[in-house]
Amino acid sequence: MDVSARHDLDPVTLEIIHGKLLSIVDEMGVVMQRTSMSPVIYEVLDFACGLCNADLELVAQTNGITLFTGTFSTQLKSVVDTYRGQMRPGDIYVTNDPYHGGTHACDFAIIRPIFHGEAILAYALNVAHWVDVGGAVPGSLPPDATSTFQEGLRLSRIRLARNDELSPEITRIILENTRLPGIAMGDLNAQIATVRIAERRLREMLDRYAPDLLADSFTAIIKNASRRSRAVIAALPDGEYVAEDIVDGDGVSDAPIPVRVKITIAGESVEADFTGCPPAVAGPINCGAGALHSAVKSVFKALVAPQEPSNEGWFRPLTIKAPPGTIFTAEKPSPTGWYYEGSVQASELVWKALAPHMPSRFSAGSYSSLCVIYLSGRTADGKEFIHIEPTHGGWGASFDQDGANAVISLTDGDTYNYSVELLEAKFPLRVRRYDFNTEGGVGPGLHRGGYGVVRDYEVLADGTLLTGSFGRSATPPWGAEGGRDGSVNRFEVIEAGSGRVTSYGRLSDRRLNKGDIVRIITGGGGGWGDPADRPAEKIENDIRAGLITRERAKLEYDYTGGRR
Amino acid sequence: MIRLATDVGGTFTDLLGYDEITGRIYSAKSLTTVDNQSRGVLDTIRMAEATSGLEPSRVGFFVHGGTTVINAITERKGVRTALITTRGFRDVLEIGRGNRPDLYNLRFHSPAPYVERHLRLEVSERVDPDGTVVVPIAEAEIEAAAETLRADKVEAVAILFLNSYAYPDHERRCAERLADLVPGLTICASHEISRVWREFERSNTAVLNAYVKPIISRYFRELEIKLVDAAVRCAHYAMLSNGGVASFQQAAEAPLNLVESGPSGGIAGAVRIGELLGEPNVLALDVGGTTAKCSVIVDGKPRVFSDYRLEHDRHTPGYPVQVPVVDIVEIGAGGGSIARVDAFGALTVGPDSAGANPGPVCYGLGGTEPTVTDAKLITGVIDAGEFAEGRMRLDLDAARRAMTALGGKLGKGCEETAEAIVELAEANMINALKLVTIQRGHDPRDFTLVVTGGAGPLFAANLGRELNAKRVVIPPHAGIFSAWGMLAAKPRIDQRRTWFRELGADAIAPLNEELTRLKQSSLDYFGAESSGDLDHIVSIHLRYRGQEHSVTTQIDGALDQDGIAQSFHAAHAKSYSFALPETAIEITGLHLVTVLNAPVISLPRVAPDGLSLDGARTKCHRIYFGPDQGWQDSAVYARDLLPPQITLEGPALVREATTTTLVLPGQVARRDVCGLLIIQEKADS
Repeated sequence: MDVSARHDLDPVTLEIIHGKLLSIVDEMGVVMQRTSMSPVIYEVLDFACGLCNADLELVAQTNGITLFTGTFSTQLKSVVDTYRGQMRPGDIYVTNDPYHGGTHACDFAIIRPIFHGEAILAYALNVAHWVDVGGAVPGSLPPDATSTFQEGLRLSRIRLARNDELSPEITRIILENTRLPGIAMGDLNAQIATVRIAERRLREMLDRYAPDLLADSFTAIIKNASRRSRAVIAALPDGEYVAEDIVDGDGVSDAPIPVRVKITIAGESVEADFTGCPPAVAGPINCGAGALHSAVKSVFKALVAPQEPSNEGWFRPLTIKAPPGTIFTAEKPSPTGWYYEGSVQASELVWKALAPHMPSRFSAGSYSSLCVIYLSGRTADGKEFIHIEPTHGGWGASFDQDGANAVISLTDGDTYNYSVELLEAKFPLRVRRYDFNTEGGVGPGLHRGGYGVVRDYEVLADGTLLTGSFGRSATPPWGAEGGRDGSVNRFEVIEAGSGRVTSYGRLSDRRLNKGDIVRIITGGGGGWGDPADRPAEKIENDIRAGLITRERAKLEYDYTGGRR
Repeated sequence: MIRLATDVGGTFTDLLGYDEITGRIYSAKSLTTVDNQSRGVLDTIRMAEATSGLEPSRVGFFVHGGTTVINAITERKGVRTALITTRGFRDVLEIGRGNRPDLYNLRFHSPAPYVERHLRLEVSERVDPDGTVVVPIAEAEIEAAAETLRADKVEAVAILFLNSYAYPDHERRCAERLADLVPGLTICASHEISRVWREFERSNTAVLNAYVKPIISRYFRELEIKLVDAAVRCAHYAMLSNGGVASFQQAAEAPLNLVESGPSGGIAGAVRIGELLGEPNVLALDVGGTTAKCSVIVDGKPRVFSDYRLEHDRHTPGYPVQVPVVDIVEIGAGGGSIARVDAFGALTVGPDSAGANPGPVCYGLGGTEPTVTDAKLITGVIDAGEFAEGRMRLDLDAARRAMTALGGKLGKGCEETAEAIVELAEANMINALKLVTIQRGHDPRDFTLVVTGGAGPLFAANLGRELNAKRVVIPPHAGIFSAWGMLAAKPRIDQRRTWFRELGADAIAPLNEELTRLKQSSLDYFGAESSGDLDHIVSIHLRYRGQEHSVTTQIDGALDQDGIAQSFHAAHAKSYSFALPETAIEITGLHLVTVLNAPVISLPRVAPDGLSLDGARTKCHRIYFGPDQGWQDSAVYARDLLPPQITLEGPALVREATTTTLVLPGQVARRDVCGLLIIQEKADS
């Protein structure tokens, strides 16, 4: 049935309604970012806002980071299944359960059903990363956790408010189970404000449009996206594309973990099959099925419609196959705190399988890991602080250009680095260096990879704790079409006085002293094409810019000044 | 005395003069001279002399708005520029913030920096945020850097040392040494143009300022000479992006303050229209050929934004600069916006524009894709024979053919398609207008919508209705309104400081001391003799402890702890729907606006003698109002002939030289005693 033919839902009205829905989710995002108490929300944008229709399908979503691409529907379904027939206007629900469509316990989803009369018209959702939800360590993410019970409070599908009154019991549970209750309540308030704004704006739309016209618009928006998505897929060459990769340790052990995917493109549909991946590992880099779906959808979106607003329709042609209980489909009580370090590798597998066949969409391998560190402790006046920061790094080259220098990894998106001046005014840390990682270098090629960064933190307070979990700390970003591999991500502690250096890929809670330096190093991207074909002029430019020495140019490009 | 403004735009240079004694208006328009804008400026002055008897020697105030700065930046035509920065931070300018707003584009790159890596030089030095010198500045390294600058023939250099927003001594020292070592070098130390934290944004600000400074200095020197030759010997002012003006000399010191000179003139004009109406809350919309720009004025003050980003859109981070710029939301919807139907039957309008060449299909200059202007012609709002005062005959048949072809893909007829295009263009404008009002905590019903630009008055009535605005106002000279607005702008300086402290009783004394210092430096800026005529507006950037973003809170009364806290709670609740009265408050910065009171343009009263509605009615025209209302007969009036304060009823068209205003069925309009055209719903009036 052609939905747009009924009522007076002509394409113009549909376009106008779609525009209004997108400005609603934008407004939710602005309010969240401006009022949140957590750097991880206002700087890293580790949150997403959206609207789903009564059938629980995503209609509109903020474009902040890719981590939450299409996680809403499964999460919403787990809540709706639990409260079927019991939801009322004025209700607010909360859930942060990785085994019910969520990601990790730190990500709190707030859900508001929006009614018209007796019937639910839509749901407004907000998922945001809370700085601390209890558990074994400040920040709730021990990189060496072996069970979900070390990763903090889980509120699995809980009604938080009735008649718009927050349950004092649930609120108390939250307050008593986090190390930073003030920030938690501040962020909860911000999240609730956003879903209420969404409701108010939808009600304003109901003054103009009949509820069934709105509902039909939601369906039509999704259906239009799915038609477009199928058309893109249909134009791609049918075939099976396989990729394999290594996950560098799980936080408990450094042992390499081999993973693989088989992509099948057939007519208008795409299947991503993760059969053959190992069972869930001991450490917390596992991800649940919800996070796997999101990871694959991110790359699928990059393929079919990178710049269009996201909704369920784009993903209709996609099937994801993965047996339960694997590293990408972990079940309770496997830990999932650092799930994005696992899920990004699932994204990258799909990317790696497709890159050589769709060069206009995909680059060679990038530094990929979010390279997050936690520095926590007390300031000079005794206040607790937690500094959480993902680090930007080098991306892979493409068929027509060198890779991008120092941009944020695939899992994030519109994510800013932290201003040195801001953080020095706030935390007992001094940044000594923030520039390109020319020492580690990049993957040579006709087009070379982009540069990662080096960021040095001098610790100014005794007893500061360091935690971090970096992927690609042993297996570098892959080169493509003859381009060479890039360089790895690591972090080091350089001890004050002795100058002793220890290097890490993943680390839980090392105590630091005043004067110690934490050096964060992110990798350079993989190259594209044969290094022997790189023009001399470009090599000379890089030498002049101080990105590469003559000695290294000789080694990597067999270049000896002017001629080879 | 005559007050004279010239506004250089992308295609045309506009002149508008106002005789303070007689109320006479002079206007002229000529083609912009792209290579050197000052020639076009002089052309308009000569035209005004020739056609309307402007006497340049009677000009007592001259203000100039232009695009020299923004052009030099966007066309990459600044001078060879280097950057000197703290050792270890050479790549901050290139790394930027590392964000990927185009998040599903896996081949994304950050915008290229304006200084290449080999010209980003490092000097050992380090100062903590509390002013402690951790590493003294290495003089020998400054000398080495100077050597490189000379060898590489660098014309301008920016200096950025960490934490210089609070402690600029090292930057000062470096600038002094360089001035000695490299005579003739343009030097811009970051603290001279911004005292706000965030090292990347401040470096970028200093770099772009240095990059254009020699060019602007030359330009103003040349323009000054030409003006004096043309007998315009009064003080010469430049329109700044903050809605105020500054002398050529002041502007050349910090040219980046000119980056949005033209649009800022329009906002200054909208503020003035609000004053004349006794209306403090104004929503300003200017619709040109390619874009629509909107901005909000609350309590008679434009919102001045200090995190402006050049070349920014949804998909690219652009180049942030820390200079005060009036907050303008710009969208790709204008008269030239092209309508298309894609393979899946979806209709889009803009952001691609046919521009002035080839222009809309009806111009007959080769355009083949229907535009918003074609749609307005087909629906009868634009008259094919009276466009641009009849100087350009529009081709209605060609427009209809193109529109019918497009409509075929939608299953719609010609007029219906045209109506749909107008509706979509308006929906885009409404979303933008809501963004600057509702999403910032303002209710459009409290606002007067002031609409300008050649295309704006075609849409104004319906936008006002959709937003429930109090009323819609079309000022005179709507087609060259930026120039008019420049004559409403006053000399102004914005000073922002990052100033970080918890709001408590002990913060008040140092806060007052800091404000006193800021007021002193604005006195120095304007010269001491003007002190009696200065107005100061104090705002404090405040946030709840733990938040990152601050809310700018204007403090009108005394500066005491409770007063500040109450103002902030209220401002936070207004913007974000909640306040946290139990949570500690932090001060993050101060913003002092200082305005020199000076006479500005007014609107002469319209003499009613001999004017009547019947006399103003020129003819009747058919207008299409969509499938429900169909074609309706509408009266057409000449704006200049409308009698003051007599109400006319919609549907109607009010024509003037540079634009046409549509009045809808159910609306009434009148020309007030100042000549403003005011549209209201009949039910409300």
